[in-house]
Amino acid sequence: MDLATKRKWDNAVRGYDLMNGYGPEWRWAPSKRRLFAAMEGKVLFLAIGTGQDIQFFPPDRDIIAIDISDQMIAQARRKAERYQGRLELRPLDVHDLDYPDATFDQVFTSCTFCSVPDPVNGLRNLRRVLKPGGTIGMFEHTGSRWFPFGLMLHLMTPLTRRLGPELNRDTPSNVRQAGFVDVRVEPVYLDVVKLIHAVNPTASAGF
Amino acid sequence: MERRLYFLLGDLLSNTGAGALVGLALSAVVGEAWPAVLGMVFGMVVGDVIALPAALLLSVPFGAMEVMLPVMATGMASGMVVGMLSAIGAVSGGFAAALGALVGLVVLAATYGLNAYVRAGYASTVRDRQKTR
Repeated sequence: MDLATKRKWDNAVRGYDLMNGYGPEWRWAPSKRRLFAAMEGKVLFLAIGTGQDIQFFPPDRDIIAIDISDQMIAQARRKAERYQGRLELRPLDVHDLDYPDATFDQVFTSCTFCSVPDPVNGLRNLRRVLKPGGTIGMFEHTGSRWFPFGLMLHLMTPLTRRLGPELNRDTPSNVRQAGFVDVRVEPVYLDVVKLIHAVNPTASAGF
Repeated sequence: MERRLYFLLGDLLSNTGAGALVGLALSAVVGEAWPAVLGMVFGMVVGDVIALPAALLLSVPFGAMEVMLPVMATGMASGMVVGMLSAIGAVSGGFAAALGALVGLVVLAATYGLNAYVRAGYASTVRDRQKTR
């Protein structure tokens, strides 16, 4: 397990819901609800954080939600108890996934690949545990190609990286590099906040 | 485009407020003895420095990127405009605040327009894809 990343998110748990639980979640609620409404079969959710996304999960689904931080997971447990369906929480690093190949029908992420230290490798690990033809649905924020937003996000990243996410990642490109196909990027806000949909082509290609 | 009144008012308040704050601060610092270009560049940097904590604070009730990006662009633009004008001639605090707020309004309108353009481009791509199926 990447202990530095785990420590960073363990430390971020205090005040996390205060900073992110109101305006950002309310603002993004319609897009997240729409994305998660597609959950079917056995679902892996990465990374659950303090569990703010649980309120947007459709009921009666079979979901395993992981996070590198057990402090975050501890916060999420209270929200998970209210979920009407099967929701298992596990402290686990995406780089150390211990599930057999082709375990899940779908993978979902929410503001996750701004923080995973090696995003392409993390996405390859997700492909490994996804069934052939399985889909990934991501709600992510990235860098921007528009001035001045791209510049501002680049300038802020050295600071934000210490506390939490990187703001200038190119996650759609990382998804393609990891071997996913049919990558569709749907803008939510400018070219920064977006939904990314992609498909795992085969069980073994690229590993 | 955002249609919820709470967020529309929040965006308006955030950008005009941040613009007014930056305008007020720069009119107090930049004087007539400054070269105009220096006033503009200084205003741009200081405007962003003031806007960053304001954006972080405003993101709690009104949303993350949707507040942070336009508010920081407002800080940059209103800082440039008020910094340059303050260097060219004396600008009162009230005028600088009003000008900063106006710049904030323009920046907000521009980001709304850009967002509508980006989303319309995606909608058109989806329509084309559906037609070819």
